[in-house]
Amino acid sequence: MIKSLLLFHEPQVKKPFILTEDSGNVNSGNTNTGEDSAKTGENKEPSRRKKNENLLLKKVEKIKLTDREKKNQKDGKSDISRQLSENLKTIEERFSASLNGDLIIRQFDITVKDSTIAAFLVFFDGLVNTKVIDDDILQPLMLLSNLDIKGDRDDILKYIRSHILPHNQLKEVHTHQELIDEVYFGGCGLYIDGLESAFAADVKDFPGRSVERPNNELVIRGPQEGFTENLRANTGLIRKRLMDQNLIAENIIIGNRSKTPCSIMYIKDVANESLVNEVRRRLKNIDVDYIMDTGELEQFIEDNPALPAPQMLATERPDRVCTMLAEGRVAIIMHGSPFALVVPITSNDIMYSAEDQFLRFPYSNLLRFIRILAILMSLLLPGIYLAITNYHHEMIPTDLLLAIMSAREKVPFPSVVEVFLMEISFELIREAGIRIPGPIGPTLGIIGALILGQAAVEANIVSPILIIVVAVTGLGSFAIPNFSAGFAFRILRFAFIMLAALSGFLGITVGLILIGLWMVSAKSFGVPYFAPIAPRTAGGFTDAIFKSPAWKQEKRPDYVNAKKQKMQPKISRKWALANENSQSGDDDKGDQNG
Amino acid sequence: MDRRKRLIAIIMLVAICPLLASCYDAREVDDLGFVIAMGLDRGKTNTLRMTLQIAKPMAGADGGSVGDDLSYEQFSVEAPAVFSGLNMINTFASKQISLTHLKVVVFSSELAREGLKPYLNAMLRGKEFRPNMPIVVARHTAEEYLKSVDPKLVTNAAKYYELVFQSYKYTGLIPKVEFHDFYLASKSPCRNPVAILGDASKFKSVEEFDIKNSTYMDHHRSMPFEGDLFAGDIPALGGARAENVGLAVFDGDKMVGELDGTNTTMYLLCTGDYIHSYWTFPDPLAEGRYVLMNVKQSRKPKHRVEFVDGKPRIDIMLNLEGDLVAVQSDIDYETGDNSLVLESAAEDYIKDHVQKFLDKTINEFQSDICGFGAYARAHFMTWAEWEAYNWHTKYKDATFNLTVNFKVRRPGLILRSGTSEAMESRRDDQ
Repeated sequence: MIKSLLLFHEPQVKKPFILTEDSGNVNSGNTNTGEDSAKTGENKEPSRRKKNENLLLKKVEKIKLTDREKKNQKDGKSDISRQLSENLKTIEERFSASLNGDLIIRQFDITVKDSTIAAFLVFFDGLVNTKVIDDDILQPLMLLSNLDIKGDRDDILKYIRSHILPHNQLKEVHTHQELIDEVYFGGCGLYIDGLESAFAADVKDFPGRSVERPNNELVIRGPQEGFTENLRANTGLIRKRLMDQNLIAENIIIGNRSKTPCSIMYIKDVANESLVNEVRRRLKNIDVDYIMDTGELEQFIEDNPALPAPQMLATERPDRVCTMLAEGRVAIIMHGSPFALVVPITSNDIMYSAEDQFLRFPYSNLLRFIRILAILMSLLLPGIYLAITNYHHEMIPTDLLLAIMSAREKVPFPSVVEVFLMEISFELIREAGIRIPGPIGPTLGIIGALILGQAAVEANIVSPILIIVVAVTGLGSFAIPNFSAGFAFRILRFAFIMLAALSGFLGITVGLILIGLWMVSAKSFGVPYFAPIAPRTAGGFTDAIFKSPAWKQEKRPDYVNAKKQKMQPKISRKWALANENSQSGDDDKGDQNG
Repeated sequence: MDRRKRLIAIIMLVAICPLLASCYDAREVDDLGFVIAMGLDRGKTNTLRMTLQIAKPMAGADGGSVGDDLSYEQFSVEAPAVFSGLNMINTFASKQISLTHLKVVVFSSELAREGLKPYLNAMLRGKEFRPNMPIVVARHTAEEYLKSVDPKLVTNAAKYYELVFQSYKYTGLIPKVEFHDFYLASKSPCRNPVAILGDASKFKSVEEFDIKNSTYMDHHRSMPFEGDLFAGDIPALGGARAENVGLAVFDGDKMVGELDGTNTTMYLLCTGDYIHSYWTFPDPLAEGRYVLMNVKQSRKPKHRVEFVDGKPRIDIMLNLEGDLVAVQSDIDYETGDNSLVLESAAEDYIKDHVQKFLDKTINEFQSDICGFGAYARAHFMTWAEWEAYNWHTKYKDATFNLTVNFKVRRPGLILRSGTSEAMESRRDDQ
């Protein structure tokens, strides 16, 4: 290792992704040639992965879908046999039917006028709505199909599709794999004897939560819905709010074995294309067997794995995702995770709560000011306390100094030990509070309050003034709206305690400089992490640290480099101008200009 | 590799940090003894007798009763110099002495008359001395002065010192003195420093009260007004027995005289540090009665120095305003000509006092404590010329041209001193 340090190695120049201003306007193919093979494959011949995506395509892309179907038929690359028994064998083999207890294969006969055709259904019990299968698939096929079929046997396919099966999401598939993927995602496969293709009906009905209040991002004013673990419910929650015809929900499958369906959501004519491409590229190039949650996904696609602060926003609030989509950002939603990821974000976004947007601007500015204070306190307060009491006695008012002095008089430890003791026991309480079983929960409060609040002071283990410091620090860290950012500040706080204990304000200053350098050089999906502040971007301050009124937020954040910069015209409160009285109109103009 | 290098670099940096610092300077608060006041006297066995008041940790944090205990412990030691004294005290005081919270330095007038240069230098160099602490000259010994500080209204002496030397803002009876400024003035070719005059009260009971040291005769009054006294002579009991009234006049680093409270007010007026205080004016229309006004400085004074026949002529314009707080004679001074009468009487009164004060600085002390030299400086092209002129020797020839603008602004809660009819009609209304 020493050798590698001392010797010169020519650095490998690896061009990182940087979201630039022009990249949105140029055709995306130019900006990332060679990197992105996926993008170009959009409408070409279906690879296996592409097909998997097609399983989940939305109505918006229905036209495309039918195109592709025709193509499939022409290509005729079907591995489904005309012999039903062969198909049955394949399916039983592929699904390990002898081992899988929840796999249901239902064989039956379709009665047509002069004969019966054998068929079978395959689905997983527990993933499907059995009533829908009974009523909309089995019943029509078994009971109501006794009709005259004209023409040749191949037309049965079309006939069944268009006349017999009343189910709304019925898809024709041409390979076993396609059908298998569908079945695993809550579909029901239907094989009919003599056909070279099969049907996949979407009858999914996963057991799961219904839409509930978000657990972690609570607001008082604003929508009270949160994401669930169901992908479609989540995309639905977004579409419900954002009825923009350009809202795209692209499908993508992550995990070679888990095949977790994900959605990339963005607004087509707003989001920067190169950003969308980059998201797609990163997601497609994850080579992993299983992936369970966006928390994992985040680690696979973030720019700086070592940076303490989160580089994408994990939120369980659909309204928050909608706002950010409207600003030109991209959201990633994953099946099985109630948290959506939004990229790119900057350091400001971790300070915001969803509520900010719904409150009048003076209110949300008050909240933001308090949050900045909270961040500073949770990061620096114990460090500053240590620095002052150990190095810079002249900084405190004499009265306070004497109070601290008398409080510390009987404490046997140096104040660093005191601080560590309290901080660690606070972290203990916090961790225990999450793990503790519900019914015993209140006990923890008592223990915590007793140990931290009173007993420790009375036993002269810590000084009462330190309890205040630790308590305020704890409060501060709970006031940080972003869960991940809270972690970041908790970890860094210990670093600052060490630095302050070693060299007072000098140490804190060094720490701030190092962390500043680290943060400023970091990027989140090609956007500098401290964006509207460093580098400063034009008009970046309407919603940077403090918020201007809603009607004044005319532009999307500059650093997102959206295709359309403007969100609203200079004068969005048109009613104020509509008045014939020019006096009031002028006033308003002046107001907005000012 | 690049990342690993960076990581190693950061780890090394952090590792070096403790090597460089390693808590070298760290001192726990409770391991230090914080000096809140320092007194310097001429010693019996050595050059200096140093008296330190070291704050005790505040009782009351765990509910303990404060009782009659003093909030400080007083130590005295005889030593050749300030820092050697600190060393000596450290041998028997259990805690390491820290001067970072030193609130006041008291010199005995004996020491001050000999010159403070050796001590000022030590205090300026020592990084623990605060530049904004006040300087007090005790008329007797500093030790006695400090011993008499037993604050009754605040729980700790540090707070007492913080507050008591701010009283110039509302009494005008002590000057505004900060150590750093004192030092600069002591070396300045334009001005001379002053210090707060303090002393322990000489009265122990009401029977002992006398006014024989009062300066009311000098001010041509039949009885002493609030400012016609020096520290230690106030006929008062209760509270801390240490008193601060008046100022010590310096020439360079040597004390040359004392001024009483009234003259201190005039000093503040001339320098512009005056804020507000209550004044007792003789009633211009009623003999033997007084009009009390709260006099404020409405604008900073304007200064101008001209040279007439080689002698400096100093123009001073004072802008003051007053609020009536008591009219003993109940004469209607709120309206009409009476207010003009009062204003001009007050102007004359103030002018007279300021003139006497300035004359005193010339005749008695020949010391420009108001810093008029700074305005005279403007007439010289180079610093060398100015230094060669030697303002300090020329100041005694100065003449003064005083202008006082005084306006009565607010009559207090009585908008108009009632005539009998007005009173009656008011009663009818009710």
